[in-house]
Amino acid sequence: MEELVGILKGIHPEIDYETENGLIDKRIFDSFDIVTLVGQLTEEYDIEIGPEDLLPENFNSAKQIYELVERLMEE
Amino acid sequence: MSFVSVPFAVFVISAVLLYYLVPVRYRYLVLLAFSLFFYYLACGKYIIYIIITSAITYLSSMAMERVKDRSARIFDREKKKEAKKWLKKRLKVIMVICLCLNFGILAILKYSDFLFANINRIRVGYFGSTDMWGFEKLVLPLGISFYTFQSMGYIIDLFYRRYDAEKNPLKLTLFVTFFPQIVQGPISRFRDISPTLFNGNRFDEDNIRRGLCLIIFGVAKKLIIADRLSVFITNTAAFYKDLNGTYMLIMVFLYSMQLYADFSGGINITIGTARLFGVDVTENFVRPFFSKSVSEYWSRWHITLGTWFRDYIFYPISISKKLMSFGKKISGISDFLGKRTSLYTATLVVWAATGLWHGPEWRYVLWGLLNGIIMCVSAEMTPLYDRLNRMAGWKKGGFLHRAFAVIRTFVIMSLLRVFDLSFEGIRMALSIYKRILLKQGPVSLERISSLGLSTQDMVVALIGIGLLFAVSLLERKKSIYDRLMERTAAFRWVFCTVVLTMILIFGSYGIGYDSADFIYMQF
Repeated sequence: MEELVGILKGIHPEIDYETENGLIDKRIFDSFDIVTLVGQLTEEYDIEIGPEDLLPENFNSAKQIYELVERLMEE
Repeated sequence: MSFVSVPFAVFVISAVLLYYLVPVRYRYLVLLAFSLFFYYLACGKYIIYIIITSAITYLSSMAMERVKDRSARIFDREKKKEAKKWLKKRLKVIMVICLCLNFGILAILKYSDFLFANINRIRVGYFGSTDMWGFEKLVLPLGISFYTFQSMGYIIDLFYRRYDAEKNPLKLTLFVTFFPQIVQGPISRFRDISPTLFNGNRFDEDNIRRGLCLIIFGVAKKLIIADRLSVFITNTAAFYKDLNGTYMLIMVFLYSMQLYADFSGGINITIGTARLFGVDVTENFVRPFFSKSVSEYWSRWHITLGTWFRDYIFYPISISKKLMSFGKKISGISDFLGKRTSLYTATLVVWAATGLWHGPEWRYVLWGLLNGIIMCVSAEMTPLYDRLNRMAGWKKGGFLHRAFAVIRTFVIMSLLRVFDLSFEGIRMALSIYKRILLKQGPVSLERISSLGLSTQDMVVALIGIGLLFAVSLLERKKSIYDRLMERTAAFRWVFCTVVLTMILIFGSYGIGYDSADFIYMQF
């Protein structure tokens, strides 16, 4: 989780990722940020993120992103 | 049948009465019958196109369901892995066939003239051909861009297995043809609209109140602001060669307001009409003129089109394995370019497509590309902007910083709209920009009046725009409807009576006026 928060801080350092759960709904992350994040997650965790995974419910909080990464690592 | 007309009001009242008179489980059939009737009244025999699109979409979705069922019947773990790959492949084939057929219809009807015009230009210019290729003039059916995109979003979602297909062909046809959103969208997602569209809603006073309130707001925006400015903007664009740059600037900024009042007013009428039946239609605008950047603007303006392009084109391209590995190769030469290859390629593709969606002309493609380029440049300029803000002593996120960003975005977006107005093509747009930059001059109220905006009209339009701005400010925290509902019934009645009276007194209608078509209808 710490590693993931480090990646997220690299994109938006001003956000408190422990409490924020509206990264998409509050338009904190735009589509450019999402693509940048996907690129970094793919490289860091050696996973394959497809367009079908790019749903707000997978990216609204650090916890949700972490769960997505874990699920994709298992597959 | 215009949304702002007595026949439409009679049509909607009849549909609402019948909807609530029939048993709940048949109510979706009333909506379907009225939707098909509405489309037939608007397009006559060309209704066949929307029926074909509905049929192709339905048959494809059923084929996808059959493939999924077959795959689900495999329980062996080893075989299951193989079956998963097989399923994905099969679903992809069905999706691609469906996309080709439906986008093929759209391409032939909307883009073949554009394609042949360009081919003929090359053939005449380089090969000296004298015969012209092309189809006879084809009729563009009402709302084809909207319903095609909506249906294809549904098919792509089925490919991603986001939900199950609708098995009732009549319900799916209703999803494609639902009359309030056929003229100018929004482009609804199946998952969002289907529960309230199909289930048959019970009569709810709040739905009627909310719906009527939205319709009144929409009509006010359309008749008091948009239609009042329409004649002046059309005439100023038509006589641009005789006018100086100041007139061009007035035209550009007023056009921004006209387009917003027209499109968001139309969407208010759409959402309000759907609400009368208890159907939830997605909002298409969230105060776009308060955006602090071009990319934020596009997340607030015509939201459903933006999210369609984002989810179904931008994301699949930008995170595709091929483009990402190409980006890595580029990183070997330049790390800066490598990191941006997939992002900016996808951005430019999406914006060229968005431009083409607006119209089969090069001016729209250029307009789209300019939007994309501005977004890419803005992303790179952010550190510079931050430095300039610090130098100016503006706190990031403070009032001055936000006000500057909002005004800058409004000016950029308004200036880009010059391409919308340049019906003669890119040269006309360049000529208008040249006038704005180099040929500023005096303006007279008489000349503006002769172009179709009398002093009284201008005062009414400006007050209307001021009120629109005030409502937008109020809606930052709560919608105007929710605010109204907090007041007493007497206050609400007085408020609605005042707005209706304003429409009656200041609306552009009656003898000498003909309610203009909605601008987005042409797209």
